[in-house]
Amino acid sequence: MKKSGPLLKTLAVGALASVVVLSGCGSNKDNAGSNASNGGSGSADKAANLKIMWWGSDVRHEATQKALGLYTAANPKVTFTPEYTNWDGYWQKLPTLAASKTLPDIMQMDAAYIQGYVKRGLLADLSDIDLSGIVDEQVIENIKIDGKVYGIPLSYNGQGMVYDKVALEEAGITLPTNNWTWEDFFAYAEEARAKLPKDKYPIDDLRNIWEWYQFYQTSKGLGPIFKDGTTFNLDKDTWFEFNSKYAEFQKAGIVPPADLQLSSKENDPQTDTFGTGRVMLRGASVGSATAIEALLPGGRIAVNSYPIGEAGGGWAQSTIFFSVSEGSSNKAQAKEFIKWFISNEEAGKTLGTVRGIPINNDILKSIEGSLTAGEQLGIDLLNAAKPKALPFYPAPAGAEDFVSTYKSEMESVMFGQNSLEKVYETLVEKGKAAEAKLK
Amino acid sequence: MFGRKSGSGKRFQHNTAGYLFISPWLIGFLLLTLWPILQSLYLSFTEYSLLDSPVWVGTDNYSTITTSDRLFVKSLVVTFTFVLFAVPIKLLFSLLVAMLLNKNVKGMSIYRTLIYFPSLIGGSIAVAALWRNMFGLEGYINHILSWFGIQGIGWIANPDTALGTLILLNAWQFGSTMVIFLAGLKQIPKDLYESASVDGAGAFRKFYNITLPMLSPVMFFNLVLGIINAFQMFTSAFVITNGGPANSTYMYVLFLYEKAFRQYQMGYASALAWILLLIIGVFTLINFTVSKYWVHYEAEGGKSR
Amino acid sequence: MMTEKQSSWKNHLLLIPFSLLMIYPVIWWIGASLKSQTELSLPTLWPDKFMWENYTNGWTYSSQYTFAKFFGNTLVMEFWNVLGGVLTAALVGYGFGRLNFRFRNFWFSVLLMTLMLPSQVTIVPQYILYTKLGLTDSYIPLILPHFFGGGAFFIFLVVQFIRGIPRELDEAAQIDGASVYGIFFRIIGPLIKPALYTVGIFTFLWSWDDFFAQLLYLSSVEKFTVGLGLRMFIDQFEVQWGQLLAMSLLSVVPSAIIFFLAQKHFVEGIATTGIKG
Repeated sequence: MKKSGPLLKTLAVGALASVVVLSGCGSNKDNAGSNASNGGSGSADKAANLKIMWWGSDVRHEATQKALGLYTAANPKVTFTPEYTNWDGYWQKLPTLAASKTLPDIMQMDAAYIQGYVKRGLLADLSDIDLSGIVDEQVIENIKIDGKVYGIPLSYNGQGMVYDKVALEEAGITLPTNNWTWEDFFAYAEEARAKLPKDKYPIDDLRNIWEWYQFYQTSKGLGPIFKDGTTFNLDKDTWFEFNSKYAEFQKAGIVPPADLQLSSKENDPQTDTFGTGRVMLRGASVGSATAIEALLPGGRIAVNSYPIGEAGGGWAQSTIFFSVSEGSSNKAQAKEFIKWFISNEEAGKTLGTVRGIPINNDILKSIEGSLTAGEQLGIDLLNAAKPKALPFYPAPAGAEDFVSTYKSEMESVMFGQNSLEKVYETLVEKGKAAEAKLK
Repeated sequence: MFGRKSGSGKRFQHNTAGYLFISPWLIGFLLLTLWPILQSLYLSFTEYSLLDSPVWVGTDNYSTITTSDRLFVKSLVVTFTFVLFAVPIKLLFSLLVAMLLNKNVKGMSIYRTLIYFPSLIGGSIAVAALWRNMFGLEGYINHILSWFGIQGIGWIANPDTALGTLILLNAWQFGSTMVIFLAGLKQIPKDLYESASVDGAGAFRKFYNITLPMLSPVMFFNLVLGIINAFQMFTSAFVITNGGPANSTYMYVLFLYEKAFRQYQMGYASALAWILLLIIGVFTLINFTVSKYWVHYEAEGGKSR
Repeated sequence: MMTEKQSSWKNHLLLIPFSLLMIYPVIWWIGASLKSQTELSLPTLWPDKFMWENYTNGWTYSSQYTFAKFFGNTLVMEFWNVLGGVLTAALVGYGFGRLNFRFRNFWFSVLLMTLMLPSQVTIVPQYILYTKLGLTDSYIPLILPHFFGGGAFFIFLVVQFIRGIPRELDEAAQIDGASVYGIFFRIIGPLIKPALYTVGIFTFLWSWDDFFAQLLYLSSVEKFTVGLGLRMFIDQFEVQWGQLLAMSLLSVVPSAIIFFLAQKHFVEGIATTGIKG
């Protein structure tokens, strides 16, 4: 005899109340993200408060805020509401802001994530910013998505290799040479194994890193794993050849055992296999150069290019950008600011290398004299990577499942818990599923 | 006869007072909590990247999850294993230590704080570094094992043992469960023990006839919540092992989180969440149903019906 | 009393090694917080060179605000959280645990249900809700749930404690003319003090580290909590370990102090309450 009356009533009232409250407040607060005093991407002369967000550590925060202060001093009509956090937090917060339609006017973007945002129309087209004389034309071409510019590059990045020169020389191992081939690379590994003490290894076992295999495949001119970002293109023979080689290496002790390898956390002083002197040579990005130099300071580290195949090897292009939100009402002012950010000399001096090697060559020259060893290492890496660089092929938006499957499946292979054949089937299945989403 | 409303006798209904007392929670629930919950239910029937608007897909998410997602099964297995071991171990430890700490020994406050300390650092970033150092290949455990001539392995980096380290971490942080037991122990009136002593009862009889029954509501609480929380374990798997190696520590909520925030599939993740709720709900229901056989509520004057 | 003394040192014999075992990783933590970046890769417990600067540098890492500001922010938030948590748990717990009202079991099941849905899927709709209410970049979304709509864990805890209190006490008070409200304030309330102290401590501890919510709802640096401040030491590629470990160790200290001070309140059992008449 339970009367459902009171219950339903309470629920209904509560739900109604919520709806009323929400819809009432909704319309006015929807534009909370870009609190412009006037709508539309009007002329750059109108006053504006730009909401700007970036990730980084405190060094970057301080420098950037100083730069923002410089800009406001020179352009009093434009003020800023900055927001910053660390890398992990940033990529949790940004999608949430997107979901609540409160993206900031200006946001820092990374090459690995930008496609997802472009695909959903969240970023403004910045192709109309005139960057001639500020940024190399080739650099701009490299970062275009569907022929348009969606992020202004802030620094150079690239992928090369670093090795412990002192240790290799001591053991009498032939040093790597720039633009060496994959055959040279494997030969180095075998020679080094013979001459290194038992608990040290020539190279890492990176079978669970899909990008590492992709470097191999692309350097042979076979194209990336997702050709044109839409077609699944894992070359069977090449993949088996590559992984069988590494399986042999694991047996011969040329790469660390699986549990040592997987406990390695990049740049972590406790566990990084390179930093703790267990592995002699590994890939390194320009952006992480200062971190790496801190692991083995004192000039121990020397730089080399990635192994090069017929089509090239490694990559060298910008991966960090400033993008403008498509929903921003202050696009003109935002664009002006970004242009100033990468070209103004004083800004350049204030910012230094907090975002890596400055994209503007003039600014780079002006700070060249005051570089630290780590920053110099970054420049050396960039110079090693540039000559034969291939494009940077990030995982296309929609292939995230494939990427995480690749990692866990290969890890089980590394522990001898799975066979290459089975894993290949799984990868093809996931790859095709991703392809269906990408088309 | 067994209706909960009639209770053990003349229980009156206090509708006004009842709703008044629970109003802080009820109001908050209706205004602040209900809508996000209903939203997440709605989202479970959509495809939602967070960057786009949600797109209705009906029961697609649910059918994919239950028929063709291998990771779903894997994460369930990992999670069930975790729950199976972590909950009893934690409960046992907590009870024993609570009884140990219930005594009037000098400096007990300090001991209690020290023993509780690990539970304080649960959400701390440093836990990852700590645990990796303890159980890493070059870590302390292996260091100590080498004294006995045993060659340790990379406990955290090995798929066979990684989950074990997380279970251990969970057990190490038993402090909260223990504190609740302590509070429960302290609530047992001392004169019960005294009259039992007068009647000639020994320590074991006292434990069995007084402590356990009087503690059973709290034990029940710890069991129910222990299971609910163990199913939702996330932070240590996220921060220390990130689900690896080879998905051996791929807890269900980590799987959910990755779908939501890394793979732009919030709709799918919401479906996963509601499935989890169902699973936990079933376990909780079983717990409540079985509780009438062993939980003693003093307020109801004996075994609760 | 001979037996008491003997069991006393036996207790210590048991307690000391056990405490050490529990606290051992923390000892490593202290040592590591005093190491330099390069020394961290060595498996030693104590550093060769004690880098006390890790603490001073860490404290003043940000040029805008020292950790004093972050600690201050967090402690203020915690005050409100604990107040809300304890009040709500006491009131609502009494309602569910002692009073009989229509649909009580239904609402109690709903209460429990809120514990079973992972927060990762409600946090985005919740954020959207608070955005529409214009309450982002404030502490309100963090504090409000402790007063309204949250705290299911604690409510349930208090319910269990209350159900362990014999009804004869209520009945005796009723005979004396007390209403249900009176019973709450004069009888049950005082008796659940241990439980309430537990609620307070746990509210404090668990909201301290609630990173995701703090990340979403606090934007301006001046509002940062300690947890958000700690993230400053982590960059995309490298971590300032010494300072991070030092500051995160300090971050745990208030919780430890609160626990140490408050514990006697929930372990001061109840004296005989004349139950047996």
